[in-house]
Amino acid sequence: MFIKEKGYAHWDGELKKKKFPWMPITRYGIKLAFRKKSFRFFFYGALAPSGIFLIGIYVSERLEDFRSMIGETSRFVNINPAYFRNFLASDFLLFFLVILLLLCGAGLISDDLKYNSIQLYFSRPLKKREYFFGKVSVIVFFLFLVTLVPGLILFIMKLVFAGDLKFFASYPWLPLSIIGYSFLVTAFFSFYGLFLSSLSKNSRYVAVLIFGIYFFSHIIFQIFDGIFKNPYFSLLSIRANLQQMGAFFFNQKAPHAVSWIYSLLVLSGICVLAGFVLKKKIRGVEVVK
Amino acid sequence: MSIEVKDLHFSYGKLKALDGVDLDLPQGAIGLLGPNGAGKSTLLRILLGFLVPDKGEGRILDYDIKHEQSSIRRFVGYMPEDDCFIPGMDAVSFTSYFGELSGMPRQEAMKRAHEVLFYVGLGESRYRNLETYSGGMKQRLKLAQAIVHDPKLIFLDEPTSSLDPQGRKEILELIIDISSKKDIQILISSHILPDIEAICSYVVILNKGKLAAQGDMDRLKQIDYKLYELRVKGESEGFVKKLRDKKSRIKETKDGVLKVYLPPDKNPQDIFAVAAEENIQIRHFVKSRTSLEDLFAKAVGVD
Repeated sequence: MFIKEKGYAHWDGELKKKKFPWMPITRYGIKLAFRKKSFRFFFYGALAPSGIFLIGIYVSERLEDFRSMIGETSRFVNINPAYFRNFLASDFLLFFLVILLLLCGAGLISDDLKYNSIQLYFSRPLKKREYFFGKVSVIVFFLFLVTLVPGLILFIMKLVFAGDLKFFASYPWLPLSIIGYSFLVTAFFSFYGLFLSSLSKNSRYVAVLIFGIYFFSHIIFQIFDGIFKNPYFSLLSIRANLQQMGAFFFNQKAPHAVSWIYSLLVLSGICVLAGFVLKKKIRGVEVVK
Repeated sequence: MSIEVKDLHFSYGKLKALDGVDLDLPQGAIGLLGPNGAGKSTLLRILLGFLVPDKGEGRILDYDIKHEQSSIRRFVGYMPEDDCFIPGMDAVSFTSYFGELSGMPRQEAMKRAHEVLFYVGLGESRYRNLETYSGGMKQRLKLAQAIVHDPKLIFLDEPTSSLDPQGRKEILELIIDISSKKDIQILISSHILPDIEAICSYVVILNKGKLAAQGDMDRLKQIDYKLYELRVKGESEGFVKKLRDKKSRIKETKDGVLKVYLPPDKNPQDIFAVAAEENIQIRHFVKSRTSLEDLFAKAVGVD
Protein backbone atom coordinates (compact mmCIF):
# COMPACT_ATOMS: atom_id res chain seq x y z
CA MET A 1 0.00 0.00 0.00
CA PHE A 2 1.40 3.38 -0.93
CA ILE A 3 0.96 6.44 1.10
CA LYS A 4 1.14 10.07 0.14
CA GLU A 5 0.16 9.35 -3.46
CA LYS A 6 -0.71 13.04 -3.44
CA GLY A 7 0.52 15.61 -0.96
CA TYR A 8 -1.65 17.24 1.64
CA ALA A 9 -2.96 20.61 0.57
CA HIS A 10 -4.85 23.13 2.62
CA TRP A 11 -8.47 23.73 1.70
CA ASP A 12 -9.03 27.34 0.77
CA GLY A 13 -12.77 27.44 1.46
CA GLU A 14 -14.54 28.68 4.55
CA LEU A 15 -16.28 26.46 7.09
CA LYS A 16 -19.73 27.93 7.56
CA LYS A 17 -22.47 27.55 10.10
CA LYS A 18 -25.32 25.97 8.13
CA LYS A 19 -29.01 26.69 8.60
CA PHE A 20 -29.83 22.98 8.68
CA PRO A 21 -26.61 21.28 9.80
CA TRP A 22 -28.50 17.99 10.23
CA MET A 23 -29.46 17.78 6.56
CA PRO A 24 -26.56 15.45 5.52
CA ILE A 25 -27.65 12.97 8.22
CA THR A 26 -31.17 12.87 6.79
CA ARG A 27 -29.98 12.66 3.21
CA TYR A 28 -27.66 9.73 3.89
CA GLY A 29 -30.28 8.03 6.06
CA ILE A 30 -32.79 8.16 3.20
CA LYS A 31 -30.18 7.00 0.70
CA LEU A 32 -29.10 4.07 2.86
CA ALA A 33 -32.73 2.99 3.44
CA PHE A 34 -33.50 3.03 -0.28
CA ARG A 35 -30.50 0.77 -0.95
CA LYS A 36 -32.29 -2.07 0.83
CA LYS A 37 -34.43 -4.18 -1.48
CA SER A 38 -36.78 -5.17 1.34
CA PHE A 39 -37.33 -1.53 2.21
CA ARG A 40 -38.19 -0.59 -1.37
CA PHE A 41 -40.63 -3.51 -1.55
CA PHE A 42 -42.51 -2.46 1.59
CA PHE A 43 -42.33 1.22 0.74
CA TYR A 44 -44.10 0.67 -2.58
CA GLY A 45 -46.42 -1.77 -0.80
CA ALA A 46 -47.35 0.98 1.66
CA LEU A 47 -48.31 3.18 -1.28
CA ALA A 48 -50.71 0.53 -2.61
CA PRO A 49 -53.66 1.54 -0.35
CA SER A 50 -53.50 5.10 -1.63
CA GLY A 51 -53.86 3.77 -5.20
CA ILE A 52 -56.86 1.69 -4.20
CA PHE A 53 -58.48 4.58 -2.36
CA LEU A 54 -57.82 6.84 -5.36
CA ILE A 55 -59.67 4.37 -7.58
CA GLY A 56 -62.48 4.44 -5.02
CA ILE A 57 -62.71 8.23 -5.30
CA TYR A 58 -62.74 8.02 -9.08
CA VAL A 59 -65.46 5.36 -9.03
CA SER A 60 -67.53 7.45 -6.58
CA GLU A 61 -67.62 10.24 -9.12
CA ARG A 62 -68.54 7.86 -11.97
CA LEU A 63 -71.02 5.67 -10.10
CA GLU A 64 -73.39 5.39 -13.02
CA ASP A 65 -70.60 4.08 -15.26
CA PHE A 66 -69.53 1.48 -12.72
CA ARG A 67 -72.96 0.52 -11.31
CA SER A 68 -73.00 -2.77 -13.18
CA MET A 69 -69.56 -3.66 -11.85
CA ILE A 70 -69.87 -2.71 -8.21
CA GLY A 71 -73.60 -3.25 -7.60
CA GLU A 72 -74.54 -3.07 -3.92
CA THR A 73 -70.99 -2.36 -2.79
CA SER A 74 -71.37 1.24 -3.93
CA ARG A 75 -71.90 2.20 -0.27
CA PHE A 76 -68.20 1.54 0.22
CA VAL A 77 -67.32 4.33 -2.13
CA ASN A 78 -69.26 6.96 -0.28
CA ILE A 79 -66.58 9.64 0.07
CA ASN A 80 -66.73 11.33 3.45
CA PRO A 81 -64.35 11.82 6.44
CA ALA A 82 -64.83 8.15 7.37
CA TYR A 83 -63.34 7.22 3.99
CA PHE A 84 -60.19 9.18 4.84
CA ARG A 85 -60.12 7.73 8.35
CA ASN A 86 -60.38 4.25 6.83
CA PHE A 87 -57.40 5.07 4.66
CA LEU A 88 -55.12 6.63 7.28
CA ALA A 89 -56.04 4.59 10.36
CA SER A 90 -56.53 1.22 8.71
CA ASP A 91 -54.85 -1.89 10.17
CA PHE A 92 -53.19 -2.41 6.81
CA LEU A 93 -51.55 1.01 6.58
CA LEU A 94 -50.49 0.98 10.24
CA PHE A 95 -48.93 -2.45 9.67
CA PHE A 96 -46.94 -1.10 6.73
CA LEU A 97 -45.87 1.93 8.75
CA VAL A 98 -44.44 -0.38 11.41
CA ILE A 99 -42.61 -2.43 8.78
CA LEU A 100 -41.19 0.74 7.19
CA LEU A 101 -40.20 1.97 10.62
CA LEU A 102 -38.28 -1.16 11.48
CA LEU A 103 -36.56 -1.21 8.09
CA CYS A 104 -35.51 2.44 8.01
CA GLY A 105 -35.42 3.32 11.70
CA ALA A 106 -34.07 0.34 13.64
CA GLY A 107 -30.43 1.03 12.82
CA LEU A 108 -30.56 4.83 12.92
CA ILE A 109 -29.08 5.15 16.40
CA SER A 110 -28.23 1.54 17.25
CA ASP A 111 -25.73 1.32 14.36
CA ASP A 112 -24.04 4.51 15.52
CA LEU A 113 -23.74 2.99 18.98
CA LYS A 114 -22.50 -0.33 17.63
CA TYR A 115 -19.88 1.13 15.30
CA ASN A 116 -18.86 3.98 17.67
CA SER A 117 -19.67 6.61 15.06
CA ILE A 118 -21.68 8.73 17.47
CA GLN A 119 -18.44 10.28 18.77
CA LEU A 120 -17.54 11.33 15.23
CA TYR A 121 -20.87 13.19 14.92
CA PHE A 122 -20.27 15.04 18.16
CA SER A 123 -16.71 15.90 17.26
CA ARG A 124 -18.38 18.07 14.60
CA PRO A 125 -20.18 21.35 15.31
CA LEU A 126 -23.39 19.41 15.82
CA LYS A 127 -25.70 19.77 18.78
CA LYS A 128 -27.61 16.90 20.33
CA ARG A 129 -30.93 18.18 18.98
CA GLU A 130 -29.46 18.56 15.48
CA TYR A 131 -28.32 14.95 15.52
CA PHE A 132 -31.83 14.00 16.66
CA PHE A 133 -33.45 16.11 13.91
CA GLY A 134 -31.21 14.48 11.31
CA LYS A 135 -32.21 10.99 12.42
CA VAL A 136 -35.89 11.68 13.04
CA SER A 137 -36.26 13.38 9.66
CA VAL A 138 -35.45 10.09 7.93
CA ILE A 139 -38.49 8.47 9.55
CA VAL A 140 -40.63 11.58 9.08
CA PHE A 141 -39.75 11.69 5.38
CA PHE A 142 -40.88 8.14 4.69
CA LEU A 143 -43.96 8.19 6.90
CA PHE A 144 -45.19 11.47 5.44
CA LEU A 145 -44.74 9.99 1.97
CA VAL A 146 -47.21 7.22 2.80
CA THR A 147 -49.63 9.15 5.03
CA LEU A 148 -49.72 12.92 4.64
CA VAL A 149 -48.85 13.17 0.96
CA PRO A 150 -51.32 10.54 -0.33
CA GLY A 151 -53.96 11.79 2.14
CA LEU A 152 -53.80 15.31 0.74
CA ILE A 153 -53.57 14.03 -2.84
CA LEU A 154 -56.73 11.95 -2.31
CA PHE A 155 -58.54 15.05 -1.02
CA ILE A 156 -57.39 17.14 -3.98
CA MET A 157 -58.28 14.37 -6.45
CA LYS A 158 -61.75 14.20 -4.96
CA LEU A 159 -62.19 17.89 -5.79
CA VAL A 160 -60.64 17.41 -9.25
CA PHE A 161 -62.85 14.43 -10.12
CA ALA A 162 -65.93 16.20 -8.75
CA GLY A 163 -65.12 19.34 -10.71
CA ASP A 164 -66.46 21.57 -7.94
CA LEU A 165 -65.77 22.57 -4.33
CA LYS A 166 -68.91 21.09 -2.75
CA PHE A 167 -66.92 18.44 -0.92
CA PHE A 168 -64.58 21.06 0.50
CA ALA A 169 -67.55 23.24 1.48
CA SER A 170 -69.11 20.26 3.31
CA TYR A 171 -65.91 19.31 5.16
CA PRO A 172 -63.62 22.36 5.24
CA TRP A 173 -61.79 20.92 8.26
CA LEU A 174 -60.90 17.66 6.51
CA PRO A 175 -57.46 18.79 5.16
CA LEU A 176 -56.54 19.84 8.69
CA SER A 177 -57.66 16.43 9.99
CA ILE A 178 -55.47 14.70 7.40
CA ILE A 179 -52.51 16.89 8.33
CA GLY A 180 -53.14 16.57 12.08
CA TYR A 181 -53.56 12.81 12.10
CA SER A 182 -50.54 12.28 9.80
CA PHE A 183 -48.46 14.43 12.13
CA LEU A 184 -49.64 12.50 15.17
CA VAL A 185 -48.93 9.08 13.66
CA THR A 186 -45.57 10.19 12.28
CA ALA A 187 -44.51 11.90 15.49
CA PHE A 188 -45.46 8.88 17.56
CA PHE A 189 -43.71 6.36 15.33
CA SER A 190 -40.63 8.61 15.08
CA PHE A 191 -40.21 8.78 18.84
CA TYR A 192 -41.12 5.12 19.23
CA GLY A 193 -38.59 4.01 16.60
CA LEU A 194 -35.70 6.18 17.77
CA PHE A 195 -36.37 5.34 21.41
CA LEU A 196 -36.07 1.61 20.73
CA SER A 197 -33.11 2.18 18.39
CA SER A 198 -31.22 3.91 21.19
CA LEU A 199 -31.73 0.99 23.58
CA SER A 200 -29.56 -1.57 21.84
CA LYS A 201 -26.43 -1.82 19.71
CA ASN A 202 -28.05 -4.59 17.69
CA SER A 203 -30.40 -3.25 15.01
CA ARG A 204 -31.99 -6.69 14.46
CA TYR A 205 -32.95 -6.82 18.09
CA VAL A 206 -34.37 -3.30 17.77
CA ALA A 207 -36.39 -4.36 14.71
CA VAL A 208 -37.85 -7.26 16.69
CA LEU A 209 -38.73 -4.85 19.51
CA ILE A 210 -40.43 -2.37 17.15
CA PHE A 211 -42.53 -5.13 15.62
CA GLY A 212 -43.07 -7.11 18.82
CA ILE A 213 -44.19 -4.28 21.08
CA TYR A 214 -46.63 -2.99 18.45
CA PHE A 215 -48.28 -6.38 17.92
CA PHE A 216 -48.04 -7.84 21.40
CA SER A 217 -49.56 -4.71 22.93
CA HIS A 218 -52.60 -5.36 20.73
CA ILE A 219 -52.71 -9.06 21.52
CA ILE A 220 -52.57 -8.32 25.25
CA PHE A 221 -55.43 -5.86 24.83
CA GLN A 222 -57.50 -8.49 22.99
CA ILE A 223 -56.81 -11.10 25.68
CA PHE A 224 -57.80 -8.77 28.54
CA ASP A 225 -60.77 -7.44 26.59
CA GLY A 226 -61.92 -11.00 25.96
CA ILE A 227 -61.70 -11.87 29.66
CA PHE A 228 -62.85 -8.68 31.34
CA LYS A 229 -64.90 -7.01 28.56
CA ASN A 230 -63.53 -3.67 29.64
CA PRO A 231 -62.83 -1.14 26.82
CA TYR A 232 -60.19 0.62 28.91
CA PHE A 233 -57.82 -2.23 28.12
CA SER A 234 -57.65 -0.74 24.62
CA LEU A 235 -55.26 1.80 26.15
CA LEU A 236 -52.67 -1.01 26.32
CA SER A 237 -52.64 -1.31 22.55
CA ILE A 238 -50.62 1.06 20.37
CA ARG A 239 -52.78 0.25 17.37
CA ALA A 240 -56.05 0.79 19.27
CA ASN A 241 -54.82 4.13 20.63
CA LEU A 242 -53.86 5.32 17.16
CA GLN A 243 -57.26 4.25 15.81
CA GLN A 244 -59.02 6.01 18.69
CA MET A 245 -57.17 9.17 17.73
CA GLY A 246 -58.05 8.59 14.08
CA ALA A 247 -61.73 8.51 15.00
CA PHE A 248 -61.30 11.78 16.91
CA PHE A 249 -59.46 13.58 14.11
CA PHE A 250 -62.02 12.55 11.47
CA ASN A 251 -65.01 13.18 13.73
CA GLN A 252 -66.10 9.53 13.72
CA LYS A 253 -67.46 7.20 16.36
CA ALA A 254 -64.54 5.77 18.37
CA PRO A 255 -63.96 2.01 17.94
CA HIS A 256 -63.70 1.63 21.73
CA ALA A 257 -65.85 3.29 24.39
CA VAL A 258 -62.95 5.26 25.86
CA SER A 259 -62.28 8.98 25.60
CA TRP A 260 -59.69 9.94 22.99
CA ILE A 261 -57.97 12.03 25.67
CA TYR A 262 -56.76 8.87 27.40
CA SER A 263 -55.35 7.58 24.13
CA LEU A 264 -53.64 10.90 23.55
CA LEU A 265 -52.19 10.74 27.06
CA VAL A 266 -50.87 7.21 26.49
CA LEU A 267 -49.26 8.12 23.15
CA SER A 268 -47.87 11.38 24.55
CA GLY A 269 -46.52 9.53 27.59
CA ILE A 270 -44.62 7.12 25.35
CA CYS A 271 -43.21 10.08 23.39
CA VAL A 272 -42.15 11.89 26.58
CA LEU A 273 -40.46 8.73 27.90
CA ALA A 274 -38.76 8.30 24.52
CA GLY A 275 -37.55 11.92 24.58
CA PHE A 276 -36.17 11.49 28.08
CA VAL A 277 -34.30 8.28 27.19
CA LEU A 278 -32.99 9.75 23.94
CA LYS A 279 -31.66 12.78 25.80
CA LYS A 280 -29.73 10.44 28.08
CA LYS A 281 -28.52 8.06 25.38
CA ILE A 282 -27.43 10.51 22.68
CA ARG A 283 -24.01 11.71 23.76
CA GLY A 284 -20.49 11.82 22.44
CA VAL A 285 -19.12 9.53 25.12
CA GLU A 286 -20.53 7.11 27.64
CA VAL A 287 -20.15 8.65 31.08
CA VAL A 288 -20.77 6.50 34.13
CA LYS A 289 -20.91 8.69 37.23
CA MET B 1 -1.14 29.67 22.73
CA SER B 2 -3.71 27.45 21.02
CA ILE B 3 -4.57 25.31 24.06
CA GLU B 4 -4.78 26.83 27.47
CA VAL B 5 -6.56 25.40 30.51
CA LYS B 6 -6.57 26.50 34.11
CA ASP B 7 -7.38 24.53 37.23
CA LEU B 8 -9.38 21.88 35.37
CA HIS B 9 -11.31 19.45 37.55
CA PHE B 10 -13.50 16.55 36.52
CA SER B 11 -14.86 13.58 38.47
CA TYR B 12 -16.69 10.40 37.53
CA GLY B 13 -18.79 10.17 40.67
CA LYS B 14 -16.29 9.93 43.52
CA LEU B 15 -13.36 9.16 41.23
CA LYS B 16 -11.31 12.23 40.40
CA ALA B 17 -10.23 12.00 36.76
CA LEU B 18 -8.68 15.47 36.56
CA ASP B 19 -7.52 17.35 39.60
CA GLY B 20 -6.46 20.92 38.97
CA VAL B 21 -4.72 20.57 35.62
CA ASP B 22 -3.07 23.70 34.19
CA LEU B 23 -1.81 23.66 30.61
CA ASP B 24 -0.39 26.26 28.34
CA LEU B 25 0.56 24.56 25.12
CA PRO B 26 2.52 26.09 22.26
CA GLN B 27 2.16 25.46 18.50
CA GLY B 28 3.50 22.21 17.04
CA ALA B 29 3.12 18.56 17.90
CA ILE B 30 2.30 17.89 21.52
CA GLY B 31 2.40 14.50 23.20
CA LEU B 32 -0.02 13.63 25.95
CA LEU B 33 1.37 10.84 28.10
CA GLY B 34 0.30 9.04 31.19
CA PRO B 35 -0.41 5.58 32.53
CA ASN B 36 -3.91 4.07 32.25
CA GLY B 37 -6.38 6.11 34.28
CA ALA B 38 -4.15 9.19 34.30
CA GLY B 39 -6.90 11.34 32.77
CA LYS B 40 -5.65 11.63 29.16
CA SER B 41 -8.92 10.62 27.50
CA THR B 42 -10.94 12.72 29.93
CA LEU B 43 -8.79 15.74 29.09
CA LEU B 44 -9.30 15.16 25.35
CA ARG B 45 -13.04 14.76 25.86
CA ILE B 46 -13.22 18.01 27.79
CA LEU B 47 -11.20 19.84 25.17
CA LEU B 48 -13.61 18.55 22.51
CA GLY B 49 -16.65 19.51 24.56
CA PHE B 50 -17.91 15.94 25.09
CA LEU B 51 -17.63 16.54 28.83
CA VAL B 52 -18.12 19.73 30.81
CA PRO B 53 -15.50 20.28 33.53
CA ASP B 54 -16.71 20.45 37.13
CA LYS B 55 -14.40 23.38 37.72
CA GLY B 56 -11.83 25.36 35.80
CA GLU B 57 -11.69 27.10 32.49
CA GLY B 58 -9.88 26.94 29.21
CA ARG B 59 -9.55 28.18 25.67
CA ILE B 60 -8.77 26.34 22.46
CA LEU B 61 -7.87 28.35 19.36
CA ASP B 62 -9.16 31.26 21.41
CA TYR B 63 -12.64 29.74 21.92
CA ASP B 64 -13.98 29.04 25.39
CA ILE B 65 -14.21 25.30 26.14
CA LYS B 66 -17.43 25.72 28.12
CA HIS B 67 -19.41 28.09 25.94
CA GLU B 68 -18.03 27.90 22.41
CA GLN B 69 -17.83 24.16 21.86
CA SER B 70 -19.40 24.32 18.40
CA SER B 71 -16.78 26.77 17.18
CA ILE B 72 -14.01 24.62 18.63
CA ARG B 73 -15.31 21.52 16.88
CA ARG B 74 -15.58 23.35 13.59
CA PHE B 75 -11.83 24.01 13.52
CA VAL B 76 -10.62 20.89 15.27
CA GLY B 77 -10.21 17.37 13.90
CA TYR B 78 -10.59 14.28 16.05
CA MET B 79 -9.28 10.79 15.45
CA PRO B 80 -10.73 8.52 18.15
CA GLU B 81 -9.05 5.43 19.48
CA ASP B 82 -11.91 3.01 18.76
CA ASP B 83 -12.79 1.73 15.32
CA CYS B 84 -15.68 3.82 14.08
CA PHE B 85 -17.51 3.86 10.77
CA ILE B 86 -20.98 3.82 9.29
CA PRO B 87 -22.09 0.50 7.83
CA GLY B 88 -23.11 0.58 4.19
CA MET B 89 -20.92 3.55 3.31
CA ASP B 90 -17.77 3.69 1.21
CA ALA B 91 -14.74 5.76 2.20
CA VAL B 92 -15.57 8.69 -0.11
CA SER B 93 -19.13 9.02 1.18
CA PHE B 94 -17.95 8.62 4.77
CA THR B 95 -15.22 11.23 4.53
CA SER B 96 -17.28 13.77 2.59
CA TYR B 97 -20.21 13.18 4.98
CA PHE B 98 -18.13 14.31 7.94
CA GLY B 99 -16.71 17.16 5.88
CA GLU B 100 -20.25 18.37 5.27
CA LEU B 101 -21.12 18.02 8.93
CA SER B 102 -18.11 20.21 9.73
CA GLY B 103 -19.58 22.98 7.59
CA MET B 104 -18.12 22.34 4.13
CA PRO B 105 -20.33 22.78 1.06
CA ARG B 106 -21.43 19.39 -0.31
CA GLN B 107 -19.45 19.43 -3.56
CA GLU B 108 -16.34 20.82 -1.89
CA ALA B 109 -16.56 18.10 0.75
CA MET B 110 -16.75 15.43 -1.95
CA LYS B 111 -13.78 16.85 -3.83
CA ARG B 112 -11.76 17.20 -0.66
CA ALA B 113 -12.67 13.64 0.43
CA HIS B 114 -10.99 12.26 -2.69
CA GLU B 115 -7.87 14.33 -2.01
CA VAL B 116 -7.43 13.32 1.61
CA LEU B 117 -8.15 9.66 0.87
CA PHE B 118 -5.33 9.69 -1.68
CA TYR B 119 -3.16 11.46 0.88
CA VAL B 120 -3.69 8.81 3.56
CA GLY B 121 -3.17 6.00 1.06
CA LEU B 122 -6.76 4.87 0.53
CA GLY B 123 -7.08 6.27 -2.99
CA GLU B 124 -7.42 2.90 -4.68
CA SER B 125 -9.93 1.51 -2.21
CA ARG B 126 -12.02 4.62 -1.69
CA TYR B 127 -15.15 3.10 -3.23
CA ARG B 128 -15.00 -0.09 -1.19
CA ASN B 129 -17.57 -0.72 1.51
CA LEU B 130 -16.07 0.18 4.89
CA GLU B 131 -17.12 -3.14 6.39
CA THR B 132 -14.48 -4.82 4.21
CA TYR B 133 -11.63 -2.58 5.45
CA SER B 134 -8.74 -4.00 7.49
CA GLY B 135 -7.73 -2.53 10.86
CA GLY B 136 -4.95 -0.46 9.28
CA MET B 137 -7.28 0.91 6.61
CA LYS B 138 -9.84 1.91 9.22
CA GLN B 139 -7.09 3.74 11.08
CA ARG B 140 -6.21 5.70 7.92
CA LEU B 141 -9.88 6.39 7.31
CA LYS B 142 -10.20 7.88 10.79
CA LEU B 143 -7.26 10.13 10.00
CA ALA B 144 -8.89 11.11 6.68
CA GLN B 145 -12.15 12.16 8.34
CA ALA B 146 -10.16 14.12 10.94
CA ILE B 147 -8.35 16.20 8.31
CA VAL B 148 -11.05 16.48 5.62
CA HIS B 149 -12.13 19.96 6.75
CA ASP B 150 -8.53 21.16 7.04
CA PRO B 151 -8.59 21.73 10.80
CA LYS B 152 -6.17 23.99 12.61
CA LEU B 153 -5.74 21.50 15.42
CA ILE B 154 -6.05 17.70 15.45
CA PHE B 155 -6.59 15.49 18.47
CA LEU B 156 -5.22 12.01 17.91
CA ASP B 157 -6.16 9.38 20.46
CA GLU B 158 -3.81 6.39 20.29
CA PRO B 159 -3.37 6.66 16.49
CA THR B 160 -0.98 3.73 16.19
CA SER B 161 -2.55 1.26 18.58
CA SER B 162 -3.47 -2.11 17.05
CA LEU B 163 -1.30 -1.53 13.97
CA ASP B 164 1.42 -3.78 12.61
CA PRO B 165 4.97 -2.27 12.52
CA GLN B 166 4.71 -1.24 8.86
CA GLY B 167 1.24 0.30 9.32
CA ARG B 168 2.47 2.10 12.41
CA LYS B 169 5.45 3.50 10.52
CA GLU B 170 3.22 4.77 7.70
CA ILE B 171 0.73 6.43 10.03
CA LEU B 172 3.60 8.07 11.92
CA GLU B 173 5.01 9.38 8.64
CA LEU B 174 1.65 10.93 7.82
CA ILE B 175 1.34 12.52 11.24
CA ILE B 176 4.88 13.89 11.08
CA ASP B 177 4.15 15.27 7.61
CA ILE B 178 0.95 16.96 8.77
CA SER B 179 2.47 18.43 11.92
CA SER B 180 5.82 19.52 10.55
CA LYS B 181 5.03 20.75 7.06
CA LYS B 182 1.39 21.72 7.04
CA ASP B 183 1.11 24.19 9.88
CA ILE B 184 -1.45 22.06 11.70
CA GLN B 185 -1.13 21.65 15.42
CA ILE B 186 -1.39 18.12 16.79
CA LEU B 187 -2.21 16.86 20.26
CA ILE B 188 -1.45 13.16 20.36
CA SER B 189 -2.36 10.90 23.22
CA SER B 190 -0.45 7.64 23.24
CA HIS B 191 1.09 5.11 25.53
CA ILE B 192 3.70 4.18 22.90
CA LEU B 193 6.61 6.36 24.01
CA PRO B 194 8.77 5.97 20.87
CA ASP B 195 5.83 7.34 18.82
CA ILE B 196 5.65 10.44 20.95
CA GLU B 197 9.41 10.77 20.83
CA ALA B 198 9.34 10.56 17.03
CA ILE B 199 6.58 13.11 16.53
CA CYS B 200 6.45 15.58 19.37
CA SER B 201 8.56 18.50 20.43
CA TYR B 202 6.56 19.18 23.57
CA VAL B 203 5.12 16.72 26.09
CA VAL B 204 2.51 16.76 28.81
CA ILE B 205 2.57 13.94 31.34
CA LEU B 206 -0.47 13.27 33.46
CA ASN B 207 -0.54 11.01 36.49
CA LYS B 208 -3.59 10.25 38.62
CA GLY B 209 -5.44 13.24 37.19
CA LYS B 210 -2.64 15.67 37.97
CA LEU B 211 -0.06 17.30 35.79
CA ALA B 212 3.20 15.42 36.41
CA ALA B 213 5.35 17.29 33.90
CA GLN B 214 5.08 19.53 30.85
CA GLY B 215 7.60 21.24 28.67
CA ASP B 216 9.92 20.93 25.68
CA MET B 217 10.95 17.36 25.15
CA ASP B 218 14.69 18.14 25.00
CA ARG B 219 14.62 20.26 28.15
CA LEU B 220 12.57 17.75 30.11
CA LYS B 221 14.82 14.90 29.10
CA GLN B 222 17.70 16.66 30.87
CA ILE B 223 16.47 15.25 34.11
CA ASP B 224 18.47 15.46 37.29
CA TYR B 225 20.37 12.24 36.72
CA LYS B 226 23.47 11.21 34.84
CA LEU B 227 22.91 7.93 33.08
CA TYR B 228 25.65 5.32 32.64
CA GLU B 229 25.34 1.89 31.09
CA LEU B 230 27.67 -0.84 32.32
CA ARG B 231 28.31 -4.55 32.22
CA VAL B 232 29.93 -6.21 35.17
CA LYS B 233 31.54 -9.54 35.98
CA GLY B 234 30.99 -11.07 39.38
CA GLU B 235 28.19 -11.14 41.95
CA SER B 236 26.44 -7.79 41.39
CA GLU B 237 23.89 -7.89 44.25
CA GLY B 238 26.06 -6.08 46.79
CA PHE B 239 27.29 -3.66 44.15
CA VAL B 240 23.74 -2.70 43.20
CA LYS B 241 22.72 -2.39 46.86
CA LYS B 242 25.62 -0.08 47.67
CA LEU B 243 24.90 2.14 44.65
CA ARG B 244 21.23 2.35 45.70
CA ASP B 245 22.39 3.37 49.18
CA LYS B 246 24.21 6.24 47.48
CA LYS B 247 20.83 7.47 46.07
CA SER B 248 21.39 6.06 42.59
CA ARG B 249 18.59 4.39 40.57
CA ILE B 250 19.54 1.09 38.98
CA LYS B 251 17.72 -0.69 36.21
CA GLU B 252 18.87 -4.02 34.79
CA THR B 253 17.92 -4.75 31.19
CA LYS B 254 17.14 -8.20 29.83
CA ASP B 255 20.53 -8.43 28.11
CA GLY B 256 22.40 -7.87 31.36
CA VAL B 257 23.17 -4.17 31.03
CA LEU B 258 22.97 -2.16 34.23
CA LYS B 259 21.56 1.34 33.76
CA VAL B 260 22.84 3.50 36.60
CA TYR B 261 21.20 6.88 37.17
CA LEU B 262 23.62 8.89 39.30
CA PRO B 263 22.41 11.87 41.31
CA PRO B 264 23.99 15.19 40.20
CA ASP B 265 26.26 15.41 43.25
CA LYS B 266 27.91 12.07 42.49
CA ASN B 267 30.49 11.33 39.81
CA PRO B 268 31.41 8.19 37.83
CA GLN B 269 34.45 7.52 39.99
CA ASP B 270 32.02 6.59 42.77
CA ILE B 271 30.80 3.69 40.63
CA PHE B 272 34.32 2.39 40.19
CA ALA B 273 35.01 2.83 43.91
CA VAL B 274 31.99 0.73 44.84
CA ALA B 275 32.97 -1.88 42.24
CA ALA B 276 36.46 -2.12 43.81
CA GLU B 277 34.93 -2.47 47.29
CA GLU B 278 32.67 -5.27 46.10
CA ASN B 279 35.38 -6.96 44.03
CA ILE B 280 33.45 -6.49 40.80
CA GLN B 281 35.01 -6.08 37.36
CA ILE B 282 33.50 -3.42 35.12
CA ARG B 283 33.73 -4.74 31.58
CA HIS B 284 31.77 -2.06 29.78
CA PHE B 285 31.10 1.55 30.76
CA VAL B 286 29.45 4.25 28.63
CA LYS B 287 27.69 7.48 29.36
CA SER B 288 24.20 7.31 27.92
CA ARG B 289 21.41 9.75 27.12
CA THR B 290 18.21 9.79 29.14
CA SER B 291 15.14 8.91 27.10
CA LEU B 292 11.49 9.81 27.20
CA GLU B 293 11.00 6.53 28.99
CA ASP B 294 13.24 7.76 31.78
CA LEU B 295 11.38 11.03 31.94
CA PHE B 296 8.06 9.20 32.00
CA ALA B 297 9.24 6.83 34.74
CA LYS B 298 10.47 9.74 36.82
CA ALA B 299 7.31 11.78 36.30
CA VAL B 300 4.87 9.03 37.21
CA GLY B 301 7.09 7.65 39.93
CA VAL B 302 7.83 4.14 38.64
CA ASP B 303 11.10 2.38 37.81
